[in-house]
Amino acid sequence: MTSDEALMLEFQGGSRAAFEELFARYRKPLYGFFGRRLNNPERADDLVQETFLAVIRAASRYEPRALVRTYLYGIALKLLAVERRKFLTSSTSGQSAPEPKTDGTPDYVLWVRQALEKLDAPEREILMLREYEQLSYSDISELLRIPVNTVRSKLFRSRLALKSYLESEAKTNPSLRPNTAQPHQRRRGMQ
Amino acid sequence: MSMNRHPIEQEEFMAYLDGELPADQASEALTHLELCPECQTLVADFRSVSQDLMAWEVESPEPGISSQINAALEERLQKRESAKIRPPRFENRVMTNRWVWAGALAIVCVAVALTLTLTSRNRNEDRSTAYASMASIEQYLMPDRNAEIALARSAAPESISDDAQILVLGWRGYETAIEGKNGFVCLVERSWTSPFNSAQFWNPKVRVPGCFNPAAARTILPLTIKRTEMVLAGLSKAQMIDSIKAGFDNKELPAPEPGAMCYMMSRAGYLSDAIGHYVPHLMFYFPLTDKSSWGADLPDSPVTLNPQFQGGPEPITEFVISVGKWSDGTVAPVM
Repeated sequence: MTSDEALMLEFQGGSRAAFEELFARYRKPLYGFFGRRLNNPERADDLVQETFLAVIRAASRYEPRALVRTYLYGIALKLLAVERRKFLTSSTSGQSAPEPKTDGTPDYVLWVRQALEKLDAPEREILMLREYEQLSYSDISELLRIPVNTVRSKLFRSRLALKSYLESEAKTNPSLRPNTAQPHQRRRGMQ
Repeated sequence: MSMNRHPIEQEEFMAYLDGELPADQASEALTHLELCPECQTLVADFRSVSQDLMAWEVESPEPGISSQINAALEERLQKRESAKIRPPRFENRVMTNRWVWAGALAIVCVAVALTLTLTSRNRNEDRSTAYASMASIEQYLMPDRNAEIALARSAAPESISDDAQILVLGWRGYETAIEGKNGFVCLVERSWTSPFNSAQFWNPKVRVPGCFNPAAARTILPLTIKRTEMVLAGLSKAQMIDSIKAGFDNKELPAPEPGAMCYMMSRAGYLSDAIGHYVPHLMFYFPLTDKSSWGADLPDSPVTLNPQFQGGPEPITEFVISVGKWSDGTVAPVM
């Protein structure tokens, strides 16, 4: 399989097929990235498209110093920050950000989501980048511009805190855990 | 958890589970983990958190590339083309218009084709991105030792595998489950014997039963053993590649012995998401050689070049010949 970096270089050289392959590889992971952070499927899809638009526009400036994966999530994080600022501005001007959609969301997803919301924002971001985007400590360090040791210590703290939040809620409502409640297709977990 | 009783700290255990510890520390962590119930609980807690998080899946819609992206893409590609090609000095207005229309038609056709292609690709996307990193070790182990022994034996006819040495995969690598008498060694290989750039490299579903003949047991099996030990010790792919290269350079890893081959005739194996149990076949190993020396991949040739070692750090060429029967004697399709 051709590496992401080789595809990016091919795209720089004018290969449309290389772009299509990158799009196919990353559309869904990027949708998950935005989907979990915004709880707004329409905006998530828009932002995936905007991420790839940014890739097209900046293709000539891409240098294979970083993994394409890290590069894409770097763009995604910037778009996310802009999106959040928009909501912040609109909420201070009287409009409020949309509430996360919960219709039809399984209880165990709400349970996880609410536990994550209890974490400090920076620690939550590190945890999510590691768990959902499967980024390495050094990738996260580079993206968030913090030392690797800080990534590690914050990740450790956030995992312990999350465990505590999840456990306390699951004790009062044991059916929340998907393996004891709804049948659930597990994806890969921690290595 | 005190450092007096535990050689590594909790935070380092987490890093080990994330595949972020250097090989020597990872090996130390693994050794301690096998003996320490307290640390096993800690590890279980970390994994539990990770698995709980995975409950939150985000269903992605299936759109292809948007018209906006298509337009930007076209614009970029056209700019590149126009930068390469000097425009004609005298333009024919009619011709230009014709080309504009032809170009527009081509763009529409490409867009339609692209949408169809991507729709198809999106269906398969999980397969290509689902195994980006190593799953938990348990997912690669087979909990039923007897089932693993039976699966390993199914790689070759009973006349061979009944007297073969059988290896099974444990937490620290392959271990002998049954001693052999005929020099053959049967085992079930896992996904990491795939090429390093394979999308299946970390697929925990992969089970590849094989029976190595004595020459291959001496010279090819060590590669499987080494890769497995490195994977379980938490080495990165780059570290593994370096280590294998060094192994060949300093002769710790042997060159394929003449006559080295392997039976892969199990109908119960799972070689990849794409090919499932594949077809029964035999594999033959050589020091790097041109595939034309065996007529491999030529029209109607029954010999194919196996990509397992192609472009990899092992200086080995591997040819495959499919056979007409599974190891139990039943008829199988031949490719």
